[in-house]
Amino acid sequence: MAAQSPTNMTVLYGELNKFINVSDYKQALKAANKIIHTKEGKEDTEAMHCKAVCMMQMSQFAEALKFIEGAPEIKDLLVFEKAYCQYRLLQTEDALDTINQVKSPDLRLLELKAQVLYKLGQYSASLALYKNLIKEFSDEFEEERMTNISAVHAALSAFDGVKTEL
Amino acid sequence: YPPKFEPVPCKPLFFDVALNHATFPSLDKKLGKKENPQKAGLTGLISNWWGWGGKK
Repeated sequence: MAAQSPTNMTVLYGELNKFINVSDYKQALKAANKIIHTKEGKEDTEAMHCKAVCMMQMSQFAEALKFIEGAPEIKDLLVFEKAYCQYRLLQTEDALDTINQVKSPDLRLLELKAQVLYKLGQYSASLALYKNLIKEFSDEFEEERMTNISAVHAALSAFDGVKTEL
Repeated sequence: YPPKFEPVPCKPLFFDVALNHATFPSLDKKLGKKENPQKAGLTGLISNWWGWGGKK
């Protein structure tokens, strides 16, 4: 049995990996569940992480949030995922609380925070974050980020009467 | 009456860039970690592993 189990687990992971690679999140979720339901995979944080992301990719944010909050193994690991689910479920204040509990947030969390602040109408704070994000990030979403910054500038001048320099 | 038309500001375009940060963890460790000791030790399993790995 001891020799059999790791083989079996690797096969299960192979399956999960395959479905992730072809973006078949429904099947990937099933594969992740299979791992979590085994004795040795019960507390496997990678499988749980995959499960949460699968649900998020399928827009099952309520389910994903419930899963993350109910699993002590990943609660601290998947803070970004948790906050994002809250953001999408319009629990925007909660999302901000979740992000603010992190002592040194990474760029993903800061980008989410900028979006959360925008949604909450805290445009100045959002703008300050974006100014930093645009410097720090180098990925393929720079145009989208610039669009968001423009939206923050527009909101500042339209709703707060604050004129800003672009 | 009827009320006069008046311009209202449109909602600016705003992208959800953060969704792109919701990514899967790397499973390389899970796939490879268990592969190496097998290759080193159990000769009988090597062909199995290669057969399986080749399909990826």
